[in-house]
Amino acid sequence: MATAGRTARPRVAVAKFASCDGCQLTILDLENELLEIVSRFDIVEFPEATSRRSPGPYDIVFVEGSISAPEHLDAIKELRKQARILVTIGACATAGGIQAMRNWADHDAYRAAVYEHPEWIESLATATPVSDHVKVDAELRGCPIDGGQLTELLTAVLVGRRPQIRDEAVCRECKRKGIVCMVVATGEACMGPVTTSGCNALCPTYDRGCFGCFGPRANANARSWSSGLLKSGRPPEEVWRLFAGFTGYAEPFRTVITELGKTKG
Amino acid sequence: MITSPAPSQTAAARQWFLAREDFGAMVEAIRGTGRCVIGPTIREDAIVYDEIHAAADLPIGWRDVQTAGRYRLEHGGDTRVFGYSVGPTPWKRFTFPPNLTIAAAHRSGAIGFDPAVPDAPQVAFLGVRACEIAALAIQDRVFLGGQFTDEDFRARRSAAFIVAVQCTTSASTCFCTSMGTGPEVRGGYDILLTEIDEGFVIQAGSPGGAAIVAKLPTRRPSHAEAGAAVDNVESVRTQMGEPLPMAGIADRLKLQLDNPRWAQVADRCVECGNCTMSCPTCFCTSVVEKSAMDGTSSTTERQWDSCFDVAFAKVAGGDFRARPRDRYRQWLTHKFSTWWDQFGSSGCVGCGRCITWCPVRIDVREELVAIAPPIAPVIRPVAVEPVAASPGTYSIARLASIRPETADTTTLTLTDLDPAFLSGRPGQFVMIALPAFPAVPISISRFRANEIDLTIRSVGATSTALDTLHPGAKVGLRGPLGTFWPIEEAYGRHAVVVAGGVGLSPLHGLVDALVANHDRFESVSLFYGSRTPEDMLFRDDLAAWSAGKAIDVAITVDRAGPEWKGRVGVVTTLFDMISWDCTKVSAFVVGPERMMQASVQGLISKGVPTDRICVSMERHMECGIGLCGHCQMAGRFVCKDGPVFRLNDLGDMFNREGI
Repeated sequence: MATAGRTARPRVAVAKFASCDGCQLTILDLENELLEIVSRFDIVEFPEATSRRSPGPYDIVFVEGSISAPEHLDAIKELRKQARILVTIGACATAGGIQAMRNWADHDAYRAAVYEHPEWIESLATATPVSDHVKVDAELRGCPIDGGQLTELLTAVLVGRRPQIRDEAVCRECKRKGIVCMVVATGEACMGPVTTSGCNALCPTYDRGCFGCFGPRANANARSWSSGLLKSGRPPEEVWRLFAGFTGYAEPFRTVITELGKTKG
Repeated sequence: MITSPAPSQTAAARQWFLAREDFGAMVEAIRGTGRCVIGPTIREDAIVYDEIHAAADLPIGWRDVQTAGRYRLEHGGDTRVFGYSVGPTPWKRFTFPPNLTIAAAHRSGAIGFDPAVPDAPQVAFLGVRACEIAALAIQDRVFLGGQFTDEDFRARRSAAFIVAVQCTTSASTCFCTSMGTGPEVRGGYDILLTEIDEGFVIQAGSPGGAAIVAKLPTRRPSHAEAGAAVDNVESVRTQMGEPLPMAGIADRLKLQLDNPRWAQVADRCVECGNCTMSCPTCFCTSVVEKSAMDGTSSTTERQWDSCFDVAFAKVAGGDFRARPRDRYRQWLTHKFSTWWDQFGSSGCVGCGRCITWCPVRIDVREELVAIAPPIAPVIRPVAVEPVAASPGTYSIARLASIRPETADTTTLTLTDLDPAFLSGRPGQFVMIALPAFPAVPISISRFRANEIDLTIRSVGATSTALDTLHPGAKVGLRGPLGTFWPIEEAYGRHAVVVAGGVGLSPLHGLVDALVANHDRFESVSLFYGSRTPEDMLFRDDLAAWSAGKAIDVAITVDRAGPEWKGRVGVVTTLFDMISWDCTKVSAFVVGPERMMQASVQGLISKGVPTDRICVSMERHMECGIGLCGHCQMAGRFVCKDGPVFRLNDLGDMFNREGI
């Protein structure tokens, strides 16, 4: 493929750990941008898209999924060695994901409840974000990630600047879109005030409260928000679920969940 | 269009009546001029402002019930079009869009930057409330009132035809009467509507408005209809109740930058920014560069931003407002205090959106009152109209008697007075003059039946001349001038008078009043400090007060001979006698400035609230009425804004030297 006379296209790999592949699919779903992306990046490793494999080193590695199984521990370290820029993508890689709910539970009991032969399953007692194990250069949040943010990150790499990825409440996106706040207008539960933006208020646009899949903002006042939800009459179990859903293992959600867990018993 | 602040007299006077069933004609008529009508319509369980194609799109019969953090729609069982108060999104959405491409840039060959050309659609805003008109005017000042202007805003604002609606109901979150923006619409519209049971009383505020009104099937309103329109608006004022104590809020907030309440409210605040986004005047934005993947072209997009954003005040080296309390304080102080410094008005119009749409139910009204507590307005001289106020005119009084108080201090008793002087209040002063001697300000130390006392220390030419007068002599007086002791505010409290040296003179009349009304107070006390026993003023009165039961008198002197049996030490040493709950103390303090500073410090450390401490300040005065400029003290004229001040009105200035 032509490289428009420029330097060699950056070598890109997409890898996964414990995850559903939804973020990888988001890359493939960038139908309008995909031709431009592959003309400017050499995607050499992407099992979701092609069975052709290619060893490192890579210029950029996108990592999906949380570290949940023993073999992940070495694999992520090896991947880090091969990556000039390591970008985690999605709630699993950046926060541990839904599977991190087991971090508050009895791992063996969970495994026994799900699998007929739990002894065949080799998994860690915790599901943890990639950043707990190796240095991460950038992260794209969400379950799944937002295609626009991915494109912006790729653009920023090419142009040579920092990606313009803001850390603001989902509420800001709702307000700019003119979406009426459903917390106030209907009493809907919503994680928007404590969740970082980037989804363009996807769930509220479709009349659903935010699930918090982009994870906590840097200055998320999770404690105030959980007590607000409790004061509005929601049982602690429901508030626990709201915070624990996608990114509960990320602070400060983690602290709130741990505290609520004590209430919940 | 940007309409004049007030409609012309003729337009204002000419009212029309439009029947309820003909309201659609107005929508039609405006649409007929090619404008997109934006008005109230129901979407997502709220009354929002969106395109109105026909009257059926309007929220007929619907009400909004708003409280902190809660908004619900209810049907009122009638056909009112404007029975709600304000919607979740302000009109700024259309004059100051949340997302706007402001420029493009390219780098193919040479580089170039192309500003976006404002392209404002012709619109009509239907149902703009008084607070919202005030908000548009505030953004006019922000975007168009300074050296640099926002041309996109100008274009959109000019392209907007304003159909204002008088409020005939209010939400519990409304506080326009506190901010002085409503409920009456006072201008800034093309057409003004007031909804009554039968329909609408309307009037035009511009030629464009008149042209639309002329197309409608109107008639002149009956007397009853016009009266109902006025009454409906007036009832909103009653509905809203007592306005908030907003007097001096800009200064009050500036004195509270270290109030612990900032941290408390920040603990609740989730920094979602909903208050700023739904505020009709908040104007902060950020820009985002959207570039092509190869970087050869880009657009600059401006977005609504919020000072609650963690990155809002960030620079390479860190964050200027790192803590949530810093950000909350920035928002509140900007809105209610520093906005005045920047734009000459408050940044708040009292629409209440920040209260309704706060998901953790923070009520800005409660925070304001808690952080910058209400104080009675600055004490104003309202007791009596002074006589001979202007310099050069004097009322003549006769010296009835003269007696020495100390070696250098004399009390003059004046009679044959203009009655105004007898109606003065303790704390006020007069300008007294003799031919060939300049007027000097002297406190009225005592009010008698037909006489006043002036106690004068011989320090200058005039005071020395006065000291040598004989009974029967005539003097020139102007007054009574200045503020007075707010005695009534101490009712039910421990009234504490602290006097130093000749400072007892402006307090004498106050002590007389406290003694006369002592049963109205929890207790009445006088702490008096003098340099020596010989320097004490009013020794007979002190003895009489000490002997009575109405007031506790404690006296101390700095130096004393062997015959002195009382306390020795500065006046603050007497404070160890204070055993009351000091939050219930009202204190009145006069003396040399350092003595007042030490006394005030002592009182505050015992827990006396700063708005319950009054002081009387001394400055050079020539005119006594705020014209000569001599007595200025940090923005105040001691003669007309004082001499009696509440300590919290003076703030930092009280302890500062060289002011």
